[in-house]
Amino acid sequence: MNANDADAPLIERVRQGDMRAFEMLVVKYQRRIERLIGRMVRDVDLVPDIAQETFVRAYRAIGQFRGESAFYTWLYRIAVNTAKKALVDLKRDPVVTESALASRDDDEETSRVENELSDGETPEAVLASKEIAAAVNSAIEGLSEDLRQAITLREIEGLSYEEIAEMMNCPIGTVRSRIFRAREAIALRLRPLLDTREGERW
Amino acid sequence: MSNVQSSGTAAAEQLSALVDGELAGDEVARACAAWRGDAALRGTWHAYHLIGDVLRSDDLASAPSRDERFLRQLRGRLAQEPTVLAPRAAAVVPAVRLRRRWRAGAAVAAGFVLVAGVLVVTQAPAPEPASRSMAQAPSPVVPVAATTAGPAADTGDAMLVTDGKILRDARLDRYLAAHQRFAGASALGVPSSFLRSATATPPQR
Repeated sequence: MNANDADAPLIERVRQGDMRAFEMLVVKYQRRIERLIGRMVRDVDLVPDIAQETFVRAYRAIGQFRGESAFYTWLYRIAVNTAKKALVDLKRDPVVTESALASRDDDEETSRVENELSDGETPEAVLASKEIAAAVNSAIEGLSEDLRQAITLREIEGLSYEEIAEMMNCPIGTVRSRIFRAREAIALRLRPLLDTREGERW
Repeated sequence: MSNVQSSGTAAAEQLSALVDGELAGDEVARACAAWRGDAALRGTWHAYHLIGDVLRSDDLASAPSRDERFLRQLRGRLAQEPTVLAPRAAAVVPAVRLRRRWRAGAAVAAGFVLVAGVLVVTQAPAPEPASRSMAQAPSPVVPVAATTAGPAADTGDAMLVTDGKILRDARLDRYLAAHQRFAGASALGVPSSFLRSATATPPQR
């Protein structure tokens, strides 16, 4: 098993009609998708809208996802196409596009307000991102060698538990527990930064 | 946050394994259910993925309130989507697509037959085209050039009428032929993905 298969269980859940399992995939890929779109589209205010559209399209099309490529590769293509289309529409009619990209539902006013609150590139958001990166990196430094090695092999090298078990010469169950403990230790350092403004609304 | 009970820890460890795709069958279902029912676990799920992203690249660090708002907005949009998915629906898709592709192919073939047919008809001498078109139409065919009332009479275009039904109209054929040619020409310049959808739609509906 490799990183490409890591999504398979969740995709299977979505196929069976578990819509919330799709949200779990959204939480996983949202940052990467937004970064990708941000590289294609100059206007930072459009990035979240295009990312939303990307996930809506992916949700509609997930029945056609065959698992021949990694889920992220598939999602990546949808994001690129969605961004390209947005750019073309924008060239044709800048005004229409912006409202078309905003959510189509009735409470457009609410979503407008939320868009205005969007803190994509505000100094506060940039600072928050930097704090999070610093906290993660310093937490990693503080881990024991075993935990650091386990989570690094998993998250950076993309190895499976089985492969890590072989490399670290320990049972798979130990790998699983080391990676979990590493994550918990880092998360503990992050928690003061992670509490969302509205409280825990996840 | 501070409420790390043993059950919460076990659920979090399952979630951690699910992050890595190392959870099987019914354990996945249980972890998903736990995620749905527990806001703290949803926060944990986000934290684990954020950690992974930051380990791979610092510029993926993101303000959590931003991520949370993104999901909340998306949830609103997804709620308006019809439920697309049932296990059976996924299996039906390829069959439908295949049929569509077959129909598109058949339609293109039919177009060529039309073009070939009109060439035969129009090139035939006006009084005696029957002998040639017999090959195509087994039922008795009466060629009518100008006697039938209809638009063909004005222009003198060849038409083929069987039992009062028009089988062949040269102008229609030319129209079809022109469009066939058009589709062919654009095929050379346009990425194939666009072309495929263009040829597949017209015969379908």
